[in-house]
Amino acid sequence: MATRLLIAEDEPSILESLVFILGREGYDIATARDGDDALSQLRTAPATDLLILDIMLPRRNGFEVLKAVRAEPALSGLPVLMLTAKGQARDRQMAEQMGADAFIAKPFSNQDVVRAVRGLAAP
Amino acid sequence: METGFGLKIREKRKALGLTQAELAKQVGISTSYFNLIERGKRSIGGALLIRIARALDLDPATLDDAADRRLMNEVTELAGEPLLAALGLQAATVPALVGRHPGWAQALALLHRECRDRGEVIAALSDRLRQDPFLSDIVHRMLTTIAGIRSTAEILESVDDLDAGHSRRFRSTLVSESTRLSDAAQALADFLDRAEAPKQAITPAEEVDDFILASNAHFPTLEEGADRLRRRIGADQAGGAVKLTTVLESGDVAAAPRQRRGRGAPQPAPEDVTDPALEEGAPAPSRRFALACRVVARELAEPIRALIDAAPSLASPAARTRAEGVLASYAAAALLFPYEPFREDAERLRYDIGLMRRKYLASVEQICQRYVSLRRPGAEGVPFGMLRADPAGNLSKPFPLPRLPMPRHGSACSLWAVYRAFQTPGAIVRQLAETPSGDRVLFVAQTVGKGVDSFAVPPRHLSIALVCDVQFADRVVYGDGLDLSPRARADAVGVSCRVCPRERCPHRVADPIVPA
Repeated sequence: MATRLLIAEDEPSILESLVFILGREGYDIATARDGDDALSQLRTAPATDLLILDIMLPRRNGFEVLKAVRAEPALSGLPVLMLTAKGQARDRQMAEQMGADAFIAKPFSNQDVVRAVRGLAAP
Repeated sequence: METGFGLKIREKRKALGLTQAELAKQVGISTSYFNLIERGKRSIGGALLIRIARALDLDPATLDDAADRRLMNEVTELAGEPLLAALGLQAATVPALVGRHPGWAQALALLHRECRDRGEVIAALSDRLRQDPFLSDIVHRMLTTIAGIRSTAEILESVDDLDAGHSRRFRSTLVSESTRLSDAAQALADFLDRAEAPKQAITPAEEVDDFILASNAHFPTLEEGADRLRRRIGADQAGGAVKLTTVLESGDVAAAPRQRRGRGAPQPAPEDVTDPALEEGAPAPSRRFALACRVVARELAEPIRALIDAAPSLASPAARTRAEGVLASYAAAALLFPYEPFREDAERLRYDIGLMRRKYLASVEQICQRYVSLRRPGAEGVPFGMLRADPAGNLSKPFPLPRLPMPRHGSACSLWAVYRAFQTPGAIVRQLAETPSGDRVLFVAQTVGKGVDSFAVPPRHLSIALVCDVQFADRVVYGDGLDLSPRARADAVGVSCRVCPRERCPHRVADPIVPA
């Protein structure tokens, strides 16, 4: 069974790029456009191997999603790759303290994303 | 501390080949007193200053002791800047610099002020960059859009076998995201265009403070103008108080009863009542004073304008507007509390603020402010300094004494009675204090509540303090019963921690920047 990723990102252009490049790497990809959607998919859908999580999400932001993930026994071990923005050092610090596994700063290169995702979950 | 003032006298005297005894005799004082003046142990002004200046063929203005002391204080602050600490500058050599090279000393003080003010502007701007919600939002929007563009462009560039459908969608994404990026960049440029210019290097309030200091808090043309106005109204004759009140209430000088010429009851003033002090039920002294301000702003507009035009220190329009208000207040005080009778009453009542308030229907602050302005050459009152503090420690309306400078920034020494007065609201607090240079001063402070007594709008509490050299304390009721002898215990105060050499003071809140 292919490794399953959930990408929580509200920017359609970024989402489409990520789906495309990671799809070509052989991952099975689900997407969520807001924080609530991401959480409910994690709880109900088949086991996710890696969560790619944007911080500025509607309804429930990335920090809140991360906190909920780490608090639920069934999800607490899920690797999380956070998408931050360059220069927002405080965001990164906070995500780190809350237990994010890795970070990618926007604007990122596709190479960086592929490398980071492979590091956390082989396809 | 030796002063540049004494040094100037000594150098000029020596240049003229005169001995201390000769010059002392010429100006009619003892040699020992003259010696004290030259060594900066006595502060002088008025007629004696003018006599000494004449004997030495100097412009009395160049012997302005107070101005020198202010300058010395500023240069001393500079000597303690951490940046300059390695130079080992000695505070003790400052008087010599100010005395011998006043121009250079002024240049240093100006540059220091400018430098520090720039530092504050930079701090304010960088705070703004870090904290402005619009900026952080727009930067985030731009980074997000760029992330989309970059990722899409990389796909188009690196994937050779892209199917037609994906290729079309990615190219259209590039166009739409570039448009969003341009919009965001434009919004940022607009924001930066709109951003207000950095604040004045010296604040308008400081410009006005400097102007008041340079004028020694006394404005002869406004005193004369106010006296003329009182005569026009007939306020200086029998029944004058009624006439003055009529004029104030109507806002019309021609409405004084004597000059009404059958025009009937005075009409209400045409101006909109926007000043809260003018509202029905405002405290009587505030209302009366606000009314007087309105009358003098119109009747004495010319001398007020002339003073402002002649003041080089009032550079910014904001400072000039502010100075206009301050001078109107001064003229209003001169109208309501005419110089000579007020000074005589003050001397007779020994500057008792409460008794003077009752006599002149005035507030604590109005009386104190008027005391400070009693500096007519030949008819001076007790030379008072004044300051006002809010509960957060911020100072306003500072008027220093020659031997007691007041900090330009931040708060003063926390031991000053102006702060202690907050512990006993409304009560008079007296304090015999000694400065690090050994000068003794008498502080008198009292808190007052300003504003409407309403639960919704909390009143503003301010502490108002007068301060005078201890040598004048016997003319002031507040010195009564205090041991003012040189050996009496006095509170060891400073000016502010940064310039205070009392290293072991338990009240210290900041490190000294001045080597003791």
